[in-house]
Amino acid sequence: MSDFQVIENALKATSARHRLQRAWAGLWKGLLAGGLVWLVVFGIYKLAPIPVLSLSAAGVAAGLTVFIFLAIALFRRESLLEAARWLDEKQQLQQRLSTALEVAGKPESEWKQLVVSDAAGHVRGVDPRRLAPLRWPKTGRWALLVLALGAGLAFVPEYRSKAYVKKQQDTQHVRETGKQMAQFTRQQLTQKPPVFDETQKSIESVAELGEKLGKASLTPAEALKDLATMAQRLEQQTKELGDKPELRPLASRERDGSAGNQSPEALQKQIEAMQNALGKAAANSDKLDKMRDQLNEAQKALSAMGDKDAAAAQAAKEKLAQSLSELSKQMQQMGQNLQGLEEAIQALKNNQTDLALAGLQTAMQDLEKLRDQAQALQALQQQAAKMGKDLPEQLKQGQAKAAQSTLGKMIEQLKSANISREALQKILDEVNRSVEPGSQYGKVGEHLKDAVAQMKQGKKGDAAQSLADAAKELEKLQQEMADAEALLAALEALDRAQMALLTGKEWSECKGGQCQACNGAGCSMCLGRGWGHGGKPGSGVGTWADEQEGWSFWTQTGPVDNSGIERPDMDARGVSDRPDDLNQGLAPTKVRGKMSPGGQMPSITLKGVSIKGQSTVQFEEAATAAQSDAQSALNQDQVPRAYQNAVRDYFDDLKK
Amino acid sequence: MKTEEQIAAFRQTYAALRSEIGKTIVGHDSIVDGTLIALLAGGHVLLEGVPGLGKTLLVRTLSEVLDLSFNRIQFTPDLMPADILGTNIVMEVPGGRREFQFQKGPIFAHLLLADEINRATPKTQSALLEAMQEHSVTAGGEIRRLEEPFFVMATQNPIDQEGTYPLPEAQLDRFFFKLLVGYPSGAELTEVLTRTTEGTKPSISKVLEREKLLELMALVRQVPVASHVKDYAVRLVMATHSKTENAAPIANQYLRFGSSPRGAQTLVLAGKVRALVQGRFNVSFDDVHAMAPAALRHRLILNFEADAEGITTDHIITHILKEVPRDAAVEKV
Repeated sequence: MSDFQVIENALKATSARHRLQRAWAGLWKGLLAGGLVWLVVFGIYKLAPIPVLSLSAAGVAAGLTVFIFLAIALFRRESLLEAARWLDEKQQLQQRLSTALEVAGKPESEWKQLVVSDAAGHVRGVDPRRLAPLRWPKTGRWALLVLALGAGLAFVPEYRSKAYVKKQQDTQHVRETGKQMAQFTRQQLTQKPPVFDETQKSIESVAELGEKLGKASLTPAEALKDLATMAQRLEQQTKELGDKPELRPLASRERDGSAGNQSPEALQKQIEAMQNALGKAAANSDKLDKMRDQLNEAQKALSAMGDKDAAAAQAAKEKLAQSLSELSKQMQQMGQNLQGLEEAIQALKNNQTDLALAGLQTAMQDLEKLRDQAQALQALQQQAAKMGKDLPEQLKQGQAKAAQSTLGKMIEQLKSANISREALQKILDEVNRSVEPGSQYGKVGEHLKDAVAQMKQGKKGDAAQSLADAAKELEKLQQEMADAEALLAALEALDRAQMALLTGKEWSECKGGQCQACNGAGCSMCLGRGWGHGGKPGSGVGTWADEQEGWSFWTQTGPVDNSGIERPDMDARGVSDRPDDLNQGLAPTKVRGKMSPGGQMPSITLKGVSIKGQSTVQFEEAATAAQSDAQSALNQDQVPRAYQNAVRDYFDDLKK
Repeated sequence: MKTEEQIAAFRQTYAALRSEIGKTIVGHDSIVDGTLIALLAGGHVLLEGVPGLGKTLLVRTLSEVLDLSFNRIQFTPDLMPADILGTNIVMEVPGGRREFQFQKGPIFAHLLLADEINRATPKTQSALLEAMQEHSVTAGGEIRRLEEPFFVMATQNPIDQEGTYPLPEAQLDRFFFKLLVGYPSGAELTEVLTRTTEGTKPSISKVLEREKLLELMALVRQVPVASHVKDYAVRLVMATHSKTENAAPIANQYLRFGSSPRGAQTLVLAGKVRALVQGRFNVSFDDVHAMAPAALRHRLILNFEADAEGITTDHIITHILKEVPRDAAVEKV
């Protein structure tokens, strides 16, 4: 092996080892740098509310840093000259190797031989492993310290200000509410798709608003502003629909809850089906109630038998079995067979109290079902009784479906060639009487009037056409009514969302229930929204339901003592006792007028408090925010009705 | 003779020179080494020191160990250039005819001792410029070559500045080394007393003749220098160039002018001699580093701030040597 080869081999080995050493050191450097990046970001995260995503980003950056440091060290290949210079420095070879490498490329000379031979002599026996050992570098200690700090920091709880936590909760609440509102509205759209495009768009816009709230990071105030704007729009649209006089009879029918959604035939069929199922029990719901009471007593008696002595218990059981047998017979007479009752009797005979109790329980449940069905049947029968017998009555009572059905029958009769004179006269008479109640349905009255005239002229075909037009008009009105209901449902969703945001409660807690007065159909008491409004019925002045109880209806079960309840929010407003330390500028200097419904609003003159300094908020921003709050308060009927117009006008003027 | 043998002879000769000079000169090892290195590199030396430290004795001793012609000029304020270079005088030649003949001055020698060079006027000092750089003298419209080798060994006194003329920068730059002769140590001083007060005079023998010296000087030039070692010398010199990109901060603060390219040449040449003296076949960073103070100290021109603060060029060189990395490419793991 020549001297130069000796040098070259030594340098190659040194270079490889040096590279490994660099990689080892690079790994620790990378760990230190990456650990520092992670530690800093993690520390900031523990102190300040930066996004959680930044932790992931820091983690990725830390990993990348380690990789980059390692890659740089690994992928950087040093030349032989660089290795020679490093070895010269490390072994204090006085640049023998590097000079030899340079000289080696030159033409042969004695100097070249001397230099190369001298360098080879010095490089022999050099052990690269000893020269570049893989020791744990100083940076490694720092890296471990940083990593340990990072791990320790994981156990330190994050500091978040109360304001921030509240803001986060509010934002999350807004999102949740928005999602619920969107889901609710979309469900409504699927279940009852509106007929008119305009209604469809409006309801979809409510759903879109919900989706927007579900994604955006809005404060409750901002969300309420959007909801209030949307509610105002929908209210306007609903009002426009509600202003149509031809829809009023239909709306009143909805409020009364009278039958009208079904045709008389369908209703009759349903009644018959239930009667068949119930048998004689259908007409004996009172008797069923009595039997339930008896069963209840029997159950109690059976439960109490354990306390008696054997002889007495046996006698009581026999007596009980006898009374139950009588009940069973009565049920059989009504065409019903309570399996549980039979089992209980048999168990009593066999002295099996537990089985008897279980049988009685089953019998009670079956009996209650029977009773419920009987009551439902009675309700249907009442509806059927309310059903108008002829067209005039149906129109008068707003039973559009029934009226349509009646009109359909008349059209068929008119179209048939062999209609008798009497029958025609009867139809003419019925239609003639229907003109007046029909006139409240817009064009329906006109069509009926035309039909009467045409029938009088003997134009049966034209009369049938006029009646068909009237039926069609009724159909259209029903569709409009359905759209109005859909809009009301959307409004309900908006109101629920607003309530949820205002009270901080969940969407599901803000059901409110349906208005008891109109059963969800919309009435003056619930302002046409169809859902519960809490407090006592009135003209709008008052409070909503008890905030502690949410919006679910509360059924009074006994006398309530509310004398100990303190409600500062219920304290009297307006002219009231003022605290002694009140600023003089806020003391009323002049009071004019007094509160009276529909009367002029009382005015109170104050000097006011002069606030020094400069506002940091733009007037327009402050005015918009105040207007939004006012609008929200108006929408929630938090402003007494007497003041509502004044408040609205005041803010409208401000806007101008 | 083979190169290896030449190198061995070089070392032997150097050792012999040191030994012979050591018979007269006590201590001052670095000064003796510096003088010999400059001699072997073919450069001139400026020796600076207070009176009585043996500057002149060193040069005289050197002239005795070298088998070379030697002249000494005592520089005085009234010394004229012609007194150094020589002049044309009217001479009567056989036949009674008279003609101008050039009468060679003391500069026509192999080794010239310019004693107390700063006592002569700049005009006279400048008479050496051509001789020192080009080894020739122009007089009477004729260029006369000086016989090789030609060395100027000048001395100057840093104190007693009355009536002295500081050497111009161009003159200073022509000196290979400026060596500062310091006081001897106690032991050295005792030895000096022993040698100089007891009536015994050491016998100095000639060690090196002219041809041999020229061979050694030629050998020095053949020593290889790696590119990164040259680069180190360049970076050192560049670091003295104040107000430039590569200038060291201290150079920017205290230097008006940095070293000329002769400084870099000196570093490398001196490094070569040092390498051979130490038995190496190549120049190392250490060689350049060791030669830097002697090679650069007279080539740096201080600014007013440095003068005011008493900063010396040696102080600046020490700083630059610390600041400029030897091999910037070598990675510390």
